[in-house]
Amino acid sequence: MRVFQMQRISAIALLIFLTIHMIVVHYPPFHINFDNILVRLQNPVWKAIDIAFLFFVLIHALTGAYVVITDFERAFDYRKALAWIAVVIGVVAFIYGSMTVWAFQPPA
Amino acid sequence: MANNNRRTVTVRIQRFNPDADAKPHMQEYQVELVQGMTVLDALHEIKTHQDGGVTFRRSCRHAICGSCAMNINGRNTLACKTPLKNEIDKHGRVTIRPLPYLPIIKDLVVDRTTFWEEYLRVKPWLIPPDDIPEKEFRMSPEEVHALNNAETCIMCGACYSSCAVIGLNKKYIGPHALLKAFMRVLDPRDAAPAERLAEVSGADGVYRCHTIFNCIDACPKGLNPTQAIETLRKLAQKRQKYEQARRERQKHLNEPIP
Repeated sequence: MRVFQMQRISAIALLIFLTIHMIVVHYPPFHINFDNILVRLQNPVWKAIDIAFLFFVLIHALTGAYVVITDFERAFDYRKALAWIAVVIGVVAFIYGSMTVWAFQPPA
Repeated sequence: MANNNRRTVTVRIQRFNPDADAKPHMQEYQVELVQGMTVLDALHEIKTHQDGGVTFRRSCRHAICGSCAMNINGRNTLACKTPLKNEIDKHGRVTIRPLPYLPIIKDLVVDRTTFWEEYLRVKPWLIPPDDIPEKEFRMSPEEVHALNNAETCIMCGACYSSCAVIGLNKKYIGPHALLKAFMRVLDPRDAAPAERLAEVSGADGVYRCHTIFNCIDACPKGLNPTQAIETLRKLAQKRQKYEQARRERQKHLNEPIP
């Protein structure tokens, strides 16, 4: 049930973050452009938004992968171990991704 | 008087004898199509006049016992309620296989052990309240309507063996048992909805369903196990509150419905 809840909540969050992402990055007047990204990522609010986006993407992707893998009867018996593997991958990817976003500075 | 509507049609049956065959194979039979004939009638015709070894289950022949569920032209359904002519008109011939994802005992007969084990897991019987009404339990029309005809399930196994999740994992409770659990959880006479919801909300329960809708497509009674599973998912999120509401409801079970 917890995995189901995590996936639904992250799906709702992703709907919001993906909408922001698509509008800001891909659609006019915000054509994808490295200069625009440089400007945006100087703003800590945008960095926080990107880190939150990363957080929900990781939760949604890892819970989804966990559910699909544990659909198989053989994997189902190892679901606790698989859950811990997903947690470790999630934590490592989140720390690494957050550090990358937070440390981003425009070239001098 | 000669019947001009009669013609010979091809019926393909998957055969498997565990004592003689390494793997299943298809065998063709020619059957005279008679008006009003069902696929089960064709199987009887083959067994009686052509090949006594063809093995299948059947009992009532009126779509109420669920024994003759099999895969007909790629769809799980009851052989006794499938008109042979419809299948011939649609596909040119009839191909009959046993229910998928279940071990074959012989020909069209499958081993339903996991089906019944999962069914018993959800305690499909009514658990009555401590205070049983003197005369009768009274359910409102709305409460009956909410059951969505779940009580008419005949346990044929068509939904179970059409479920892709069951194909991968036999530990999943399955749509048939979840439909029964749904029926008991929504039944105002039942005293243990929280216990039932706890059982079905485990790792092998309602959250394993991928809402593929195969079960709805397969059900020969037109029932909706997916909707039942969705309802159980929602109720499982608030099962203590639901149990409390049930206790309140049961205090008025013998009162007239307003």
